[in-house]
Amino acid sequence: MLKVTRLSLCYPNGKQALSDVDLDVKTGELVIVLGGNGSGKTTLLRCIARTLAPTAGQVWVDGTELTRLAGEKLRRARMALAMISQHASLVRRRSVIANVATGALGHYADWWTAFGGLPAGERTLAMDYLNEVGLVELAAQRASTLSGGQAQRVAIARALAQRPRALLADEPVASLDPEAAEDIMCLLKRLAKADNLAVLCVLHQVELAYNHADRVVGIRDGRIAFDLPREDLSRDAVRGLYLSEAA
Amino acid sequence: MKHGMAQRPSPLATAAAAGGSSVAKAMRFLLLLLGLAIVIQSTWVVHARPQDLITGVDGMADIIRRAMPPDFSTLPDQIWPTLETIDIAIFGTLAGVIMAAPLAVLAAANVTPSRTLYYIARGIIGFTRAVPDLVWALLFVTAVGLGPFPGALALSVHSIGMLGRLFAEVIEQMDMAPVEALALTGARRMQVFTHSVVPSVLPSLLGISLYRLDENIRSSLVLGFVGAGGIGFQLLTAMNLFQYQEVSLLLIIIFIVVITAERISAILRARLG
Repeated sequence: MLKVTRLSLCYPNGKQALSDVDLDVKTGELVIVLGGNGSGKTTLLRCIARTLAPTAGQVWVDGTELTRLAGEKLRRARMALAMISQHASLVRRRSVIANVATGALGHYADWWTAFGGLPAGERTLAMDYLNEVGLVELAAQRASTLSGGQAQRVAIARALAQRPRALLADEPVASLDPEAAEDIMCLLKRLAKADNLAVLCVLHQVELAYNHADRVVGIRDGRIAFDLPREDLSRDAVRGLYLSEAA
Repeated sequence: MKHGMAQRPSPLATAAAAGGSSVAKAMRFLLLLLGLAIVIQSTWVVHARPQDLITGVDGMADIIRRAMPPDFSTLPDQIWPTLETIDIAIFGTLAGVIMAAPLAVLAAANVTPSRTLYYIARGIIGFTRAVPDLVWALLFVTAVGLGPFPGALALSVHSIGMLGRLFAEVIEQMDMAPVEALALTGARRMQVFTHSVVPSVLPSLLGISLYRLDENIRSSLVLGFVGAGGIGFQLLTAMNLFQYQEVSLLLIIIFIVVITAERISAILRARLG
């Protein structure tokens, strides 16, 4: 579903941020990426989402190669790829349901949605997505009143409204307390299975990776250090990722 | 031991700090002298003579005596000009908001579609703001004749500059994370703008517009002095005809209008917050 081949990114200053990264995330799979600060985890997600242009390699989402696309074609292809980040990035003054429904805007090209209207059918669907993330009772509430965990759940519901095939999550639990972090990871795992999503999630919390990942990918200095099923993941392999940082 | 040594400043550093401190003192003294020089030159340029205020007290007392009591018999005649004054401000603010909003979008560095449009929009905003509303009123009186319309036009054009700059600043200071998040969902440019930029900045823009309306009501009083209608024109006529009792009535009306507008604007802005 989500396939990355020989992906590389070299910044204009000569810094090699990613080198020949190969990655494959299947439908229904939750793959967690671990790595130290500056190892290239977030850069990898940004290259996949094409907010950064990789200097080499390919990104395939649902059979479409993204790195060669631009403009309208890229916009359309990107709709199959949802992204959530550390901060929920909701429009704070809008209601929860409106925030969720805006995830589907890319599917519409009419004047009503161009001038701020929400498609009627999307409100109903948004309620379903809120139900999936367990927040249907907060639908009418302003986004500014939500807790960090609730806001992240709404961001996930907005991503679902996009009807994606793959979901990228960049440190989605970094600013949450352990209980909320656990909830979000359970939700991501459940959604991967229930909605047939390929979920690629960057984390710093090793324990969460041990508890929830189907596969764990380690990145060090912009290269894949290991790509293992959770069961085969050793503490030594994980420790190796952070050694240079500790030194 | 090592720790203690590290904490003790070296003689070189102490000398440098002492040198820096004396330079800073000299700079502060120079700044003080400069401030004093500015105050003295401004007093000299405006020919400030406090004694004239004291000798002029008799003249002012005479005018106040002749202005009392206010001539309330002319009150019905003042209702229409008062309404005219308020309407000049309402029209000027509304037209200003309608024209300033798109210009502000073009003039906000974070959302502008092109650098060329950015500089053009900034240029228009800068020019309309730099020319005072009174000068715009004189120009429009020449163009469309006496009455409230040139006043409304003058306030509209001047408001473009004042509102455009503030609107652009609000847009530039907004949190761009929700905008980027929505753009990543595949939403089109216009959808991203109307669904994330507009709801984020709208309350601030409405607050600024209400404040501008309050300012424009005060400005529209003055515009009457150059023939742009409203209560200002009545005030000028009454003063020219030495009808000071009517002048005092007009000043009471102006006071009530300004205070009421200020209060309503403040209440509405507080609700928006």
